Amino acid sequence: MNELRRAWLITLKDLRLEFRTGGRLVAMIAFVVLAGFLFAFALDRTAVAGRDVAAALLWLVMLFASTAGAGRIFDAEEEEGAFRHLLLTPVSRPAVFLGKTAANLVVIWLVTALAFISLTAFLDVRDQGSLAAHAAVLLPGTIGLAATGTFFGRMSRHSSLGDTLLPVLTFPLLVPVIYFGATSTARVFLERPWTEISGSVRLLWAFAVGSVFIGAALFRHLTDE
Amino acid sequence: MSTRGRITGLALVTSGVATILVAHWMMAFWVPNEATQGVVQRIFYVHVPAAWTMFIAVGIVALASAVYLWLKDERADAAAVAAGEGALIFGAIMLISGPLWGRLIWDTYWEWEPRLTLSLLLWFTYLGYFMVRGSVADPGRAKRFAAVVAVVGSLNIPLIHVSVEMFRSLHPGPVVMNPEGPTLPADMLVTLLTMWAGFVMLFLGLFTFRYAVERLRRRPLPAAAGETGEALI
Amino acid sequence: MTLEGQRLVCSYGPTRALGGVDIAAGGGEIVAVVGPNGAGKTTLLRALSGERRPDQGEVLLDGSPVSGADPGWRGRVGLVSHRAGLYRKLTVAENLNFFAALHGVPKARDAVGPALETIGAATLANTRVEALSRGQSQRVALARSLLHDPDILFLDEPFTGLDPAAAAALESTLRARRAAGSVIVLVTHDLRRGLGLADRVVVLRRGHKVHDGETGGASAADLLRYFTVGDPS
Repeated sequence: MNELRRAWLITLKDLRLEFRTGGRLVAMIAFVVLAGFLFAFALDRTAVAGRDVAAALLWLVMLFASTAGAGRIFDAEEEEGAFRHLLLTPVSRPAVFLGKTAANLVVIWLVTALAFISLTAFLDVRDQGSLAAHAAVLLPGTIGLAATGTFFGRMSRHSSLGDTLLPVLTFPLLVPVIYFGATSTARVFLERPWTEISGSVRLLWAFAVGSVFIGAALFRHLTDE
Repeated sequence: MSTRGRITGLALVTSGVATILVAHWMMAFWVPNEATQGVVQRIFYVHVPAAWTMFIAVGIVALASAVYLWLKDERADAAAVAAGEGALIFGAIMLISGPLWGRLIWDTYWEWEPRLTLSLLLWFTYLGYFMVRGSVADPGRAKRFAAVVAVVGSLNIPLIHVSVEMFRSLHPGPVVMNPEGPTLPADMLVTLLTMWAGFVMLFLGLFTFRYAVERLRRRPLPAAAGETGEALI
Repeated sequence: MTLEGQRLVCSYGPTRALGGVDIAAGGGEIVAVVGPNGAGKTTLLRALSGERRPDQGEVLLDGSPVSGADPGWRGRVGLVSHRAGLYRKLTVAENLNFFAALHGVPKARDAVGPALETIGAATLANTRVEALSRGQSQRVALARSLLHDPDILFLDEPFTGLDPAAAAALESTLRARRAAGSVIVLVTHDLRRGLGLADRVVVLRRGHKVHDGETGGASAADLLRYFTVGDPS
């Protein structure tokens, strides 16, 4: 059977569990909304305009929320030992990785949308620039975050350090995403021409495609014994 | 550990330490002051060889980890651990000596210089490497996970490199690995290479011992010695 | 059809869980693997099913090596473990649909109903697993392991926590699979059940096989001695 179909089944299963359990999703959403709220208190807006810092804060909130969520991606799999049985079906390891990454990506999209709304609202960013351009920057960035989170979430699940391990492993890797993502988003906020942004977006796509491929290729080393 | 290994390791460590001492003497008394930076420039003889040694170590870890994932050979994993500790030590020397020099020349401890930034990120990747090793309970799993961290970390180097290059550049350009040949005066080059030779010998000596220790640590105990509970049924 | 494990060695770090175990199970035969805690029973099962690659030795099906990395092999294997291995927040039918579809069972949805009926749990289809009793979820786990009609079945402590009715249902299912010619390997520390159900019993102690024989000739008291003192001869 088509491995893509198997990956899709895993995505659907994960999303169904995600929305039925709710815990991880609610925690991530509460985090991004409250973070935007707190940033408004933390900034002296007689000194800094919200629009100047919104891009940096948006990407950091996305990074923190997706990292915090990554530690929980495999919770339902391990709770009753279901993952062992999933791995014992003929499904290929890249398909497992792709399926779970896709589900994680949907969750990160939700969180990103709410983070965007909360930051622009609380920081009073009136001119947001083109929403299509924002989406074009955020799409490859979130794919990179989702793939990296799924991959290392599997690792942290087996570590006694748990989620505290994740930032040490993922932050150094995610420097390109944060750098190219935040600078591009900042330029979209400032309504700069797309030619000033497209180079960075290409590099974000390079990271997104690279992390999905490398993750799919190496995932079996995180599952098979 | 075999006698030959012991002798090789000991010889490497002693000649490494001796060479490093000689290089320190050269650095302090023999080599002339650099014209524009003055005496401060002498940190360069520690900083640059440490960086080069770290990159050798990083290369060994990445290569050995890839081999381990591929062949599941214990020796490759032991080599990766031994080299990984070297990467952390020499990386720490580089990361401490760099800002000390930067404070006096650039008037700031931390400059967003591409190579320094890349090295810091790599250093944290190797910190993560050892955190994974230490915190995953199943030993086989810990080795595989750590090897994956090392491989992924090195695959990401090109993109990090591009990011930090675009981010900012203040670091002096290459003075040794220049396509037109070294631009460094001969006596400075000799001091630099002496220090590097000392560092590399010390690294290889430590590597030899550490590798042997890793191999010994992994010898299987007699059957099921870790068994708990003899309770019936 | 014969499933063989040859000189299987598995270690967890320095702890050797299996120290070279030979085991064979033929089609239409139930082999019970018994032994005290920490004897290596579960590790043996994981090595046979291909979930854990043995450090040494190999698993053969009719003489040709099999590996957990081969999807074709995984498609022939059914597993019941002592944990249910189901998603708690999904309903019974959702769980079974998911696993049937991953196995590539044609018309997965149509296969689920009959599977639930054979284990006497048809009314549970729309109940979430978190609301099931231990015995009920174990029945569902059994149904899941049979969805793709595997000819090789592994059961790891399947009787733990089962009420008498569920245990009887499990036993009759296993007898039916035996009659259909499946290879069945059953790990248990329940000697009485193991002897009652199996054709052959293998006793493990500290990672080694200390007894392998027909169940007919051995009484529970005989086997008990293997647990405590190893091979009496």
